[in-house]
Amino acid sequence: MSNPQERAYFKRYKEDVEREGKPFFPYAMFHDTVMSLVVVCVIVALACVWYFTSGEEAGDAGILGPRYTEEADPGTTSFVPRPDWYFYFLFYLLRIFKWPESVVLGTVGIPTIALILLLVLPFVDRRRERRLVRRPVAVVGALLVIASMGILTYRGATAEESLASEAVEQVDAWVEAQGLSEEGAEGAALFAELGCLNCHTYLDSGASQLGAPDLSEIGATGQTAEEFAAYIANPAEFGNNVMPAYEDQGEEILLLVGTFLEESKGEGGGE
Amino acid sequence: MARAKSKRKQQLEHALLVPVDWLEERSGLVGGLKYFLFRKVPRDTNWFHTLGSATLTAFIVQLVTGVVLAFYYKPSPNEAYASIQYITNDLTLGWLVRGMHRWGASVFIILLFLHMGRVFLFGAYKYPRELNWLLGVLLLVLAMLEGFTGYLLPWDQTAYWATVVGINLNATAPFLGPFLSDFLRGGQEIGTDTLARFYSMHMLLIPGGLIALITLHLYLVIRLGVTSPPWSKEAAGDERKEVSTAKRGLLEPRPRGDGGVATDVRGRPEA
Amino acid sequence: MADELERPGETPEHEDAEAHLPSPTIWPFAFAGAVALILLGLIVNAWATVIGVALAVVFGFLWIRQVTHEVRGEPEPIEAPAPPTVEPEAEEEGPPRYERSKFLEGATIGIGAAIGAIVTLPVLGFAVAPAFVDQDYPEVDLGPLDEYPEGEWLIATFTSIPDDGKISRRTAFVRYNGMQDSVPSFSILSNRCVHLGCPTQPQGPSGETRELEGVPVVLTPTQPSGYGCPCHGGAYDVEGNRTAGPPVRALDRYEYSIVEGRLVLGSPYSVAEVEGEGADAVIVKYSPSDPGVHVDGPEQYLYPYVP
Repeated sequence: MSNPQERAYFKRYKEDVEREGKPFFPYAMFHDTVMSLVVVCVIVALACVWYFTSGEEAGDAGILGPRYTEEADPGTTSFVPRPDWYFYFLFYLLRIFKWPESVVLGTVGIPTIALILLLVLPFVDRRRERRLVRRPVAVVGALLVIASMGILTYRGATAEESLASEAVEQVDAWVEAQGLSEEGAEGAALFAELGCLNCHTYLDSGASQLGAPDLSEIGATGQTAEEFAAYIANPAEFGNNVMPAYEDQGEEILLLVGTFLEESKGEGGGE
Repeated sequence: MARAKSKRKQQLEHALLVPVDWLEERSGLVGGLKYFLFRKVPRDTNWFHTLGSATLTAFIVQLVTGVVLAFYYKPSPNEAYASIQYITNDLTLGWLVRGMHRWGASVFIILLFLHMGRVFLFGAYKYPRELNWLLGVLLLVLAMLEGFTGYLLPWDQTAYWATVVGINLNATAPFLGPFLSDFLRGGQEIGTDTLARFYSMHMLLIPGGLIALITLHLYLVIRLGVTSPPWSKEAAGDERKEVSTAKRGLLEPRPRGDGGVATDVRGRPEA
Repeated sequence: MADELERPGETPEHEDAEAHLPSPTIWPFAFAGAVALILLGLIVNAWATVIGVALAVVFGFLWIRQVTHEVRGEPEPIEAPAPPTVEPEAEEEGPPRYERSKFLEGATIGIGAAIGAIVTLPVLGFAVAPAFVDQDYPEVDLGPLDEYPEGEWLIATFTSIPDDGKISRRTAFVRYNGMQDSVPSFSILSNRCVHLGCPTQPQGPSGETRELEGVPVVLTPTQPSGYGCPCHGGAYDVEGNRTAGPPVRALDRYEYSIVEGRLVLGSPYSVAEVEGEGADAVIVKYSPSDPGVHVDGPEQYLYPYVP
């Protein structure tokens, strides 16, 4: 399988090392030992920072997170699951593949393809060239992989929810940004709780799904609270067959949400 | 070179060597260790080459702290969380051991990726080191699985739900997916069996695999040698070489003379 | 002395090159057995000592008699004859025979394989069996019917197997739809997202939680416009149909029965899509499947059998 040039290279390599190499101990092993000491010290330092900045209460987090969260409760309705940080890239990949038909791609397709690429690398790249300037494909590939893993991990780490439990915390910020009235603020809280942010974006929150528009400045279109309420109650009447109907919530709630939308005119008329 | 030693000192040295010779004659281990320690490595190996042994150090930290944690951890859903709290809060230095294990895992994964990147950029997966690269990819997979199985053990909310998602990821794989996820779970629902399975995998199965593969990996490294950095002017095995003007580190040994043998510009003996 | 022992393994040279060693004999063993019997008898039973002494005398006498044969001039007992030499069979003519070495090779590998199978297969079976055994879903008492006002959604968190404790806690979204054909109709949805199993949350205001008496059930009234999943953006409407995100089917539902005026939860089942609402909903049951598994459409053939 190997060709004569490869074998000649290896023979030269062995000769060069034998003639000019340095003994592993102590020259190279010294570097290894110093690095290992650094590694152990870093691990101990991380453990200390983690412990001394967190508390005994479950969920009491310091700089490096809590010691533990609450005990496992399979019946919870308020917990937001997350994997360990080195799986964040996979986690975010799953959030990218939002269409049910594509789920398999994100869960097993892409990781399997990546693994296969890793495994066949030495058989695909048979060139003997090792200098980076002469290996453009390898360098570009490496940079792309590092960049994408980095971005996916970062996005996974900062992924926010559009769920009631998290969105409700944004209401105060919205009241300030949009100058909402008291009713508008109530409507804002309901807007957060009803899960509208699952599909709509609003200021810095929410997700964009199924083509739902951003609602930060929807009030600037001039529609009234009643018109908004009627739309939300049954969007199909207005030609929208994608958005579900909310008439079950009752007129009062819908009117409050409509008021909130009416008052959402964007910050000072600017972007 | 050495000053004439006193008879006393010589006798002392002799006595110390007796058990070493005893062992060597019966096993050959001492010779093996000497070969490992004093083998030649290329002169231009640098700090990048310490990433591999740093990863090994992190792994050893995990092994040692893991064994100690196993003395106190109770792998049953009703007792696991309490045992983790006990280890973290009440046992003397329990927080340190648990912290080192938890952060050692992250450091291990980071170093693993850095080492993989270094090997890739140095082209050290090419002939004759392809097998070593394959072993390395398998080690990567096993290390990620080790992290995944270990994550469940504290049995808090983060642990439980991350594991639910992780196992269900397998279920989406076509045909065999649901069987694989049932195998991991020990049934259709996460239960007592799941924790026991994950514990057994985390303590016995995967570390066994890791240790075996690391041994093979190291064997190949010793047998095939370490590559020079690709930018090195005097990389071992290269055809065209300039006369060595490379900087020598503080601790590098001085190059030996050629003893009067006719050499080419590289220093290799002429035929 | 040290000078005489040169290297281990070499026998020291004696002056007498032909030392006379006694011929092999069995009597010392018998004598030793008798001595052991004497000692044993001292602890256990005196009669054993007596018998031991008698045997020791007899065997000792026989031993001495054999050893002193030469001195007394009697012929040595006949030693075992030398083993006959076996002639190689290579010279035989005739049909080629199945060589012994080949048979041994095959037998060794075959027996090795058999041992491997005997050890591995039961162990593997033991490890894998739970994947093939159907899950036992016990019935859960969710409390009296009065706790479930008509048209109101309740988050019911219950412990399905009290003996297992917290690990068997589950949550379901329950709504009483009123009577249909003089039978109470309930919509009971599982809260596990069918994308990857995360716990979904109701999208809407929730009320006060109350505990039920006598049963490990906790109820929280809520007014959801739908259900959302905190992991990857999945969303469902109140009937459990997917409205957005990666879930591959509708939320799983539970069977239920009414026993003595109490709502009793049965086994879960999977649903592709729910048509209609509330009591009029038309639901096609599929066997309970893992999250991420399609139950209808072309993708269902990727999962031919879900255990």
